Amino acid sequence: MKRLTSFYKYSHLNKLVLNISRQIPITKKRQHRPLEAILSISILAIFLVSLINFFNWILFHAEWNVVTGNIRLYAFGSFPQLYLWRPILWILLIIITSLLSIFSNRKSQIYNSLILAWILIVPIGIFLLAGGLILEPVASMYWGGFILTLLLTLSSGLIAFPIGILLALGRQSEMPAINKISRIYIDIIRGLPLITVLFFGQLLIPLFLPMDFEINRIIRAVIAFAIFTAAYIAEDIRGGMQSIPTTQKEAAVVLGLDKSQTNILILLPQALKTAIPALTNQAIGLLQNTSLMAILGLVELLGISRSLLANPAFIGKYLEVYVWLGLIYWLACTCIALIARSIEQKMQPTNLNAK
Amino acid sequence: MNRALLSGLVGLSVLTSGCAKIEGEAGSRLNLIKRRGELVCGVSGKIPGFSFLGSDGKYKGIDVDICKALAAGILGDSRKVKFRPLTAPERFTALQTGEIDVLSRNTTINLSRDSSGGNGVTFAPVVFYDGQRLMVKKSANINSLNDLQNSNICVGSGTTTEQNLNDTFQEKNISYTPIKYQDIDQVVQGYLQNRCKAMTSDGSQLAAARFGFSNPSNHIILDSVLSKEPLAPASRGGDQRLSDAIRWIIYALFEAEEQNISNSNIQQQVKMARSNKSLTSLRRFLGVDSGLGSKLGLPDDFVVKVIESTGNYKDIYEKHLGEKSSVPIPRGLNNTYLNGGLHISPPLK
Repeated sequence: MKRLTSFYKYSHLNKLVLNISRQIPITKKRQHRPLEAILSISILAIFLVSLINFFNWILFHAEWNVVTGNIRLYAFGSFPQLYLWRPILWILLIIITSLLSIFSNRKSQIYNSLILAWILIVPIGIFLLAGGLILEPVASMYWGGFILTLLLTLSSGLIAFPIGILLALGRQSEMPAINKISRIYIDIIRGLPLITVLFFGQLLIPLFLPMDFEINRIIRAVIAFAIFTAAYIAEDIRGGMQSIPTTQKEAAVVLGLDKSQTNILILLPQALKTAIPALTNQAIGLLQNTSLMAILGLVELLGISRSLLANPAFIGKYLEVYVWLGLIYWLACTCIALIARSIEQKMQPTNLNAK
Repeated sequence: MNRALLSGLVGLSVLTSGCAKIEGEAGSRLNLIKRRGELVCGVSGKIPGFSFLGSDGKYKGIDVDICKALAAGILGDSRKVKFRPLTAPERFTALQTGEIDVLSRNTTINLSRDSSGGNGVTFAPVVFYDGQRLMVKKSANINSLNDLQNSNICVGSGTTTEQNLNDTFQEKNISYTPIKYQDIDQVVQGYLQNRCKAMTSDGSQLAAARFGFSNPSNHIILDSVLSKEPLAPASRGGDQRLSDAIRWIIYALFEAEEQNISNSNIQQQVKMARSNKSLTSLRRFLGVDSGLGSKLGLPDDFVVKVIESTGNYKDIYEKHLGEKSSVPIPRGLNNTYLNGGLHISPPLK
């Protein structure tokens, strides 16, 4: 008896559902919904008003002298005036290499030597900044501003990339020890916040080293960034490797390639190509993460801005400074994205391009 | 969460600093500085009036001038100093590892920092007596802490500032709601946007922040002091020669003010001392009669070099925090004892 009633109930419900579902197509025609309209209009209005206010502030109220008067500091920190040509030359070299990466033809001679150029740009930069040999030495204490941000990004990226590849290969390896070590390394680093790694590098490492043995703090920062980023790069590349069909590996075996040849000639190039978007993310993230060094006392772009804001002449001008910083970081990140996109396009197989 | 992490790390660094302090007696850092021909000085670089970056890329402020005075006293040239910007958590580590010779960075003296069981640094004389204060809007008609009953107060979180506020208000049985922000910039914003009736920070920081307001005179800093913050330079513990040199160069700045010897009349004073043999104490102070400097391992005329380059304490103060400066802070406790302040130099004998 009970069952019957419940069945009856359910059949009733079913009917209801059927009825409702039948009704849905009827409401397809958009009805006037005043609430939605009001919401949309007010959201649009709020957006417009804030946009107008923002530009109004930028054009008429902001006092940009905190930016315009200190361009040199933002760019080069307290780098001695006499040797300013050195960081300028370095930045020019970076710009030229970036432009070549974007615009050169993939079959040209230049394009093939670009990888070497990007690798060389870091030691060249360090040589230009630090001096030595024929150049007058400049202590790293005077490096600052955007060139320090660039140096941190490029050099830690350059160190992290090969380590990342090795870790990715290690994780794929069939040798248990190498496999375990890579896995543990990646898991530990990914479980740590970047700020901890940086803190460790900046504050604790010096305490463990002997008294008069001092590692330059910029090197310490670069190593910390590289250690951190390598773990993420490894995972990105591993993702790329897993996307490669196993037939590739089998074909390599058939061709008589040994393990390392298979990795270097067949798997890695394909994996890297697939991983480019993810690696671009890492590069952009790395550039932005260098701003964390500001709270650890390096005067990179953000650090130098905070020092400038303490200048009594510029107290309270932080909105101007942060808008300006946002612009700079955005520009730099867009450049990275552009370079990555053009490389990605050039790496497409030719048969797709030759339509 | 990050803050917990930071404080944990700082705590760890404090603990480990005990281990790092195994140090030989041989060779004072003073000799190292002289050999190197350069003094490395840790500053904040982010505190208006104390140390900040000028548009010319050079550091300026009271803390910076103290370093310059030290360089002038030790090396005879105030330009032979390098500044290393430091954040609060890394300042003692930098001192312990020898990255810097002197820390001149708004550091409050307290027992745990001074003692060998704590940070184990040696403090020089106090160069600025600061204290935590409260700033309110003039229109709010608040004259004392009691008027702040049941009101919101903006404060930087995770700092001793927050603790002091809590301690004082609990003690006086005044209930309040703290509105916490990450750093002083945000505290100021919150205060200006009327999120709270009062904001609290060190007096010098309040004065500096107020200077940036569009209408500084609409805000007043209350007289009551929530905590004492005597700020002093520091050097690594257990190095008597260096810490003595620093201590007496700073005392010389006070002494010169007491005797009205400034950078404008120092040459006259030296001439006077040379020609008049009866001015024994002046002759000793300015190194015309030798003795004082060599006891410290400094040139006999170190006082002259110091005063020539930076002036006496008053000159430094007026330049960066005086009435005509950008961050005017009344001298108050920071006056010489002759004018009712706390700065006093023991005799340079």
